[in-house]
Amino acid sequence: MNTPDTTSKEQTDMSTAGGLPPERPQEAPAAASTAAVSAKAGHAVRLQDLNAFYGSQHAIKDVSIDFPPNEVTALIGPSGSGKSTVVRCINRMHEEIPGARATGSVKLDELDVYAPGVDVTAVRRLIGMVFQKPNPFPTMSIFDNVAAGLRLTGTKNKDLKDLVNRSLQAVGLWDEVKDRLNSPGIGLSGGQQQRLCIARTVAIEPEVILMDEPASALDPISTLKIEELIDELKERYTIVIVTHNMQQAARVANSTVFMLEGEVIEHDETNKIFTNPSDERTERYVTGKFG
Amino acid sequence: MHETRHQFHESLRALEAQALDGLDLVIQQLDRSLESLSYQDVELAGMVVADDDRIDGRYLEVHQGILSLLARQAPVAGDLRIVAALLHVIRCVERMGDQCVNIAKLVPLSGYETPKDKDILDAIERMGRLARSQVSQAKQAFAGRNVELAQDLVRQDTEINRLNREIFRRAVEIGDNLDLREWAMFMILVARCLERVGDNTVDIAEQTVFVVTGLFREFADASNPPETAPTP
Amino acid sequence: MSSITASSLPQISARRRVTDKVMRGSLLGGTILALIPLVLILFYLVKRGLSGWSQSGFFTSDPTGSFFGNPGGIRSAIVGSIEMVLLASVIAIPVGIGVALYLTEYGKQSWFANTVRYFVDVMTGVPSIMFGLFIYIVLVTGHVGGGFTAWKGSIALSLLMIPIVVRSAEVVLLLVPSSLREAALALGAPRWRVIGKVVLPTAAPGLVTGSLLAVARGMGETAPLLFTVTAAFGLTLNLGTLMNSLPVQIYTDIQSPRAEIVNRAWGAGLTLVLIVLLLNIIARFIASRSRRA
Repeated sequence: MNTPDTTSKEQTDMSTAGGLPPERPQEAPAAASTAAVSAKAGHAVRLQDLNAFYGSQHAIKDVSIDFPPNEVTALIGPSGSGKSTVVRCINRMHEEIPGARATGSVKLDELDVYAPGVDVTAVRRLIGMVFQKPNPFPTMSIFDNVAAGLRLTGTKNKDLKDLVNRSLQAVGLWDEVKDRLNSPGIGLSGGQQQRLCIARTVAIEPEVILMDEPASALDPISTLKIEELIDELKERYTIVIVTHNMQQAARVANSTVFMLEGEVIEHDETNKIFTNPSDERTERYVTGKFG
Repeated sequence: MHETRHQFHESLRALEAQALDGLDLVIQQLDRSLESLSYQDVELAGMVVADDDRIDGRYLEVHQGILSLLARQAPVAGDLRIVAALLHVIRCVERMGDQCVNIAKLVPLSGYETPKDKDILDAIERMGRLARSQVSQAKQAFAGRNVELAQDLVRQDTEINRLNREIFRRAVEIGDNLDLREWAMFMILVARCLERVGDNTVDIAEQTVFVVTGLFREFADASNPPETAPTP
Repeated sequence: MSSITASSLPQISARRRVTDKVMRGSLLGGTILALIPLVLILFYLVKRGLSGWSQSGFFTSDPTGSFFGNPGGIRSAIVGSIEMVLLASVIAIPVGIGVALYLTEYGKQSWFANTVRYFVDVMTGVPSIMFGLFIYIVLVTGHVGGGFTAWKGSIALSLLMIPIVVRSAEVVLLLVPSSLREAALALGAPRWRVIGKVVLPTAAPGLVTGSLLAVARGMGETAPLLFTVTAAFGLTLNLGTLMNSLPVQIYTDIQSPRAEIVNRAWGAGLTLVLIVLLLNIIARFIASRSRRA
């Protein structure tokens, strides 16, 4: 079932309650932490019989994974195992590659993002993505970068300043940049740029955040800061993280999925995967006997 | 597939060998302490006490090796279980060494030309042989990751426990001879040392099962009498 | 193992030294040889051109076209060139960038896009006279909206400029990292917004540079104008009539027997070169400023 890129203007209901998620309550700028915002029921992502192709190459084979709400799930596996492809299928970025297609279902709560007639851009607004290499928009200031998500989607939001403020606080960047919000986004260090990209993602208020090796281009201290941030963010979002750094998966994820050659080999609590995995291949991969 | 982390797995194997060879040292000490007991050889007993340093040294080496491996190699899954188990194993080795020393220390105290009870002596001898075979079997089970062999150790240990109780009963009923009674008290202490050695081999058996299955299952010991044979 | 010292390295042989020197010498010599004509041209141009500039009313009066008497200046030519190239740019730059956007953002490697690329490349090599002839046959002989007019000249120029804009714009647009497009798409932006708010602003300095270079090219082309707008003398702002232009002015003047008129041609030539030079400098300035940012 090929789903062509539709430009349907109708927004499919995301849950049985229908409509867009409710407005976040306004916060005084001084109250920084994301956990202070009223608790919201998290959203689950469920992949069922997902298959993805690059032309004739069958990259992902019958993958079914449940990503529990408000938890961090890590995808690990050797290069070419398909973990990045899985994540890109969730927000349908996979089909932006010429010749790429996917079949199966990806459900965000009750909504199957691959159902016919679903507006791809609307889906992507519900799902944020952070990439391996920090990619702030070079022509925009720090403020504009954080606001970019809203401006690019044409969302009218009267209190942009407050939203940018809160997003920067949520990623722990506010104190470092509050005096230079108008300076170029690319003037920051690598670790700060990545946090800026996370702030940009958080500003569109998604339900799920996908991270494709978010710290692999960063130095160790920035990596640890990002990991701490992920730990805080899971209070509000469901997070899926792809990482080739097993120690990172071990530190950050509640549950871990091990993939090999496009298939899911094992999916279990992180603790179990790293102390007593069930599958021989998982054991051999995490102990470094191949990969 | 070509094995990566070759160095690490080599180091782990070497560390395991070091820990398990400690059990050979224990057997040596056990043999010698029992021999010194039966022949009243005070000099031999003295050697046993002195040689405990080798076991203590072994303990320190393995302990340091484990710390180093944890710090530098971040072992996970099966490797992590092995490392954790080796910590237990080397502790057991050290304790068993201490028990041998305890036996050896009793030799000069138990007197030279003392009257002896044949039953008690036989029982002690049997306990000694059992303890020795248990230590040997524990080494075999762990090295071979053999769960059945590990579980068999529990069966053997019940025998040692039974002998311990029998010696106690016999000593209580030994009679009025003061010298004999004193000797019998010392034999109770010896029996207890041997019984502790047996318990330690059961600990090693538990670790063997943990390494293989990832599950920690406490086998029957003095505080946990079995109702039925333990199942995996 | 003994330590490494200066004597561990083998000596450079005398023969190698000589070969090095000979190579350097001959390459330097060849370069100088190639530069000589260029220097001569510039020198001659400046010398003759300045004498043309010094003629009375060079910049302030229009050519009179009279065989005797005051030849006049080249004011109408300068104004005419600027007007026509301006119109040509208004057509060529948006169209050119539009085609480049199609090729990089939508067509990518499809057979159609590759065909378009191929033909654009072919068009950059087409002699400029062909564009003039084409417009001549289609618009001038057909008397569409008049005979020879300035706007037809602009169209001919724009046809020439479009492939140049497309080529340079495509290069610049491809330089925009795909990670930026991905980031914008992942935020849920529709593709046209990705282009408008991310790709174009990021590529802007390069696009301006490329466009200016196309404009500079357009300023100097003679053949397309000969067949579409020919020559005129008077200053006019009406693009619906004949209009003067620098290249055509030079072309006619240089054949005159009168020395002042030939001088005027040189002066016009120098003016043209300076305008093109100015556009190039502006383009480089913009490019270097964006690189520093």
